[in-house]
Amino acid sequence: MIHRRRTAMAAFLLPAIAVYGVFMIYPLVRGVYLSLTNSLGGPRADFVGLEQYRAMMDKPQVTAALWHTVLYAIVVVVVQNALGLLFASMLFRRPKVRKVLSVVLLTPTLISPMMAAFIWSYLFAPSGGINALLGVFGLDGLQHVWLGDPSTALYAVAAVNIWMFAGYSCAIFLASYMSMPTELLDAAAVDGATGWRRFRSVEWPLLAPALTVNVTLSLIGSLKVFEFPLVLTNGGPAGSTDTLTLLVYRNVFGGGKFAFGIAVSVLLLATVVVLSSATSSLLRLRERRI
Amino acid sequence: MTSETLTPRSGPRPAADHRRTGSSPGTWRTRLRRVRGPLGTALLCLGTVLFVLPFLFTITTSLRTAADVTRSPLGLPHSLTLKNFSDVFGQMHYGPSALNTLLITGLSCVCITVIGALASYPLARLTQNWSAWVYRLFILGTSVPVFVVVAPLYLLMRDLDLLDSYTGLVLIYTALNLPLAVFFYTSFIRSIPVDLEEAAALDGCGALRTFFTIILPLLRPVTSTLLTFISLQIWNDLLVPLVFLQDPAKRTVMVNAYSFIDPHTVQPTTLFPAALLGVLPLLVIFIFLQRQVVAGISAGAVKS
Repeated sequence: MIHRRRTAMAAFLLPAIAVYGVFMIYPLVRGVYLSLTNSLGGPRADFVGLEQYRAMMDKPQVTAALWHTVLYAIVVVVVQNALGLLFASMLFRRPKVRKVLSVVLLTPTLISPMMAAFIWSYLFAPSGGINALLGVFGLDGLQHVWLGDPSTALYAVAAVNIWMFAGYSCAIFLASYMSMPTELLDAAAVDGATGWRRFRSVEWPLLAPALTVNVTLSLIGSLKVFEFPLVLTNGGPAGSTDTLTLLVYRNVFGGGKFAFGIAVSVLLLATVVVLSSATSSLLRLRERRI
Repeated sequence: MTSETLTPRSGPRPAADHRRTGSSPGTWRTRLRRVRGPLGTALLCLGTVLFVLPFLFTITTSLRTAADVTRSPLGLPHSLTLKNFSDVFGQMHYGPSALNTLLITGLSCVCITVIGALASYPLARLTQNWSAWVYRLFILGTSVPVFVVVAPLYLLMRDLDLLDSYTGLVLIYTALNLPLAVFFYTSFIRSIPVDLEEAAALDGCGALRTFFTIILPLLRPVTSTLLTFISLQIWNDLLVPLVFLQDPAKRTVMVNAYSFIDPHTVQPTTLFPAALLGVLPLLVIFIFLQRQVVAGISAGAVKS
């Protein structure tokens, strides 16, 4: 009776396994195999071993893209979470404006990354919103061709990413704030812990799980960024915003270098898996210590 | 609500504070404290306004005439016009593409929630070795970027003759989002006590009936959370429809907007209305379902 029930329950898994297996696991495995061939996307493909990976290492373009991707992720993870935390801790102390402002902060999260990139491509333009705003305040000296200068372009793209998702980080921190045990905060208040002191020794340790989630989510999200650099710079100027995703897209669907593009995508997967598992296990270790 | 009971910033200072710091309560200090509360709130409001300023700027600019914008890019509108919207509406084939996007998003959401909920029930309740491995395999998918599978998926779709079809897109979105759904549902079902199901089993209730009469109704709150998140992802996605749909008549809002807008000849009076039209349906939904959306965006992440 119970045994039959278990078999019936296991059958519930079939549709999920079928769809996930055929359209996720199979392409994943086939992709790794194709990266070891010289496939051009057609029916012919010869096994060439690590040839594509060797070609990848020889191309400074790929190593540069890997570096841009990692640097971009570091900037986004640090600034976005710092901003989110700042907003969350200020909102938590101000119950009157908390609800309204947290909703307002979430609005950029709702629009598509592509639309956000379009809006900011105008704001960053030489005669666009930001330079005009700087002009209004008499800060003409700070005006800049934000997306046209290789030294600022990557940060400008990262800024759009941060703008869009800081509200999201804030929402996660705020939810964690709201679930803090009241007695603990009351006890801290009675002990006279206020301001920075209260944050450092009471709130910060309690926020550890939220920090783990936030950092992991923003890390994975920023490593696979695509729409922002595609629309804002398309990898330019001088390749300074080329990311791994752009290389994959360009090689697979434009360059005719099918197997090479897939090899880059395997490099992207390796980067995501290594960095995200390292950070999340480090953060979890830290959670346990606290 | 919780913090109202312990706002140490305003009101009389607890005596304990002064003892601890050991300093006398200088008048400038008390004055500073009295100012700091409202000042912080004002700063916070200012920060938030700055944050959504690009958004407000987008809305006002798209309601102005091109000549007016050229004259003063940052100015307020002299007269409001909806002409930009009506121009862009026709040019980017908004009506049909919005319907396409709605269809794809809706069908994918149904598949993801139904298949995901069904799969999560055994994954949460069966405690064998193999089920733990299946669960791990699903969770692995949450960190796999689309880019890793997009090329082999393209070959697969071509071989299955599913390029340019909504079926293909729905299958892809289902596969991509199942990990998240399984993660959500499994952790939720694990938190439901088994007693009810055991009682139902003793009464001779089969697995299927137990699922539909006991588990499924309980999943409603977590489903709405999941749906807000997934529908945002799918509606806003560019890559999958860009790669897998070639027929212009089948294109989604994002693909049409992408091919319509040229960021290098930035003309805010066509750029901004197009951007707003792309997100309009989501904003409308957001205004009506505000509470669920906020819960949806924050709740799932904290639970893990």
